[in-house]
Amino acid sequence: MQVYTKPKSIKENSSFTFCSGCDHGLVIKLVAEVIDELNLQENTIAVASSGCSVFLYDFLDVDCIESPHGRACAVATGIKRATKANKNEKFVFTYQGDGDFASIGLGESLHSALRGENITVICINNTNYGMTGGQLGPTTAMGQITTTSPTGRNRAYHGFPIKAAEHIALCDGTAYSARVGVYNIKNIINAKNAIKKAFECQIKGLGYSFVEVLSSCPTNWRLSPSDSHRKIETELTQIYPIKVFKDITND
Amino acid sequence: MSYITIDDSKCKSCYLCIDVCPKNLIKKSTHTGKTGECIVEFSDSNNQCIACKQCAMVCPDIAITNVYKE
Repeated sequence: MQVYTKPKSIKENSSFTFCSGCDHGLVIKLVAEVIDELNLQENTIAVASSGCSVFLYDFLDVDCIESPHGRACAVATGIKRATKANKNEKFVFTYQGDGDFASIGLGESLHSALRGENITVICINNTNYGMTGGQLGPTTAMGQITTTSPTGRNRAYHGFPIKAAEHIALCDGTAYSARVGVYNIKNIINAKNAIKKAFECQIKGLGYSFVEVLSSCPTNWRLSPSDSHRKIETELTQIYPIKVFKDITND
Repeated sequence: MSYITIDDSKCKSCYLCIDVCPKNLIKKSTHTGKTGECIVEFSDSNNQCIACKQCAMVCPDIAITNVYKE
């Protein structure tokens, strides 16, 4: 008896082009599994952003659109409102990196949450700009060495990192905001449940739902995939706690 | 007998599956993969695999997709 197989929503014969050990593949797999479980494949429009996350449309077998850098939430807003106005409402989610969501597109992201747009956002937080060579990003931890902070992030020059899930949870239009990790099996299962809950919030029409995934970037962190997961477990979760910050379905 | 299948053409030698296997049935092979490093292989001569699916869940490249339990 087959107890595990490739999700249907992943394209046949597709092979991820991410670096070895990158968590992007794992998260896309979880998204595909949730799309399968909720039977959303034929009714979904995914919005890809710029950065490593853009490759989503190469692997996910749903309708996808590419947005300008940082503007995924704005594009998703337009799609959601237009399809709703045409009485053919689609399930719309964005898949963004932390630089795209929380720095370049912070205005679009935050105001989508404040307006309570009925979309789902998945943000991959790997604490740097991975695709362009590991530069300092909005979520780079204090003291973390990147190619543009060779002595480590410091308060006087770079300021403090942004905690996206906490900020989004403060917005009144947010239905669900959580931070999850995929660094061990327990957290992979919790991450999938969080993504499923965020998707269900949109299906029920409750408002903006947001999942931040703490993810590794072994290439730019100069660590092995296993050590990257250990770093997330021991260091990053101290700065970015794994938690559900807002869930109106529990209120 | 439970077993898994590994797609050699997709394995990128991250070795995350080696870390999670509770029975230590996944090991580095002598074959090199697309990254130029040794890919992994599954060997279970004593039928120890319990089809826990952890290797498939942790694989970021969908190289381990078929897990069979019998």
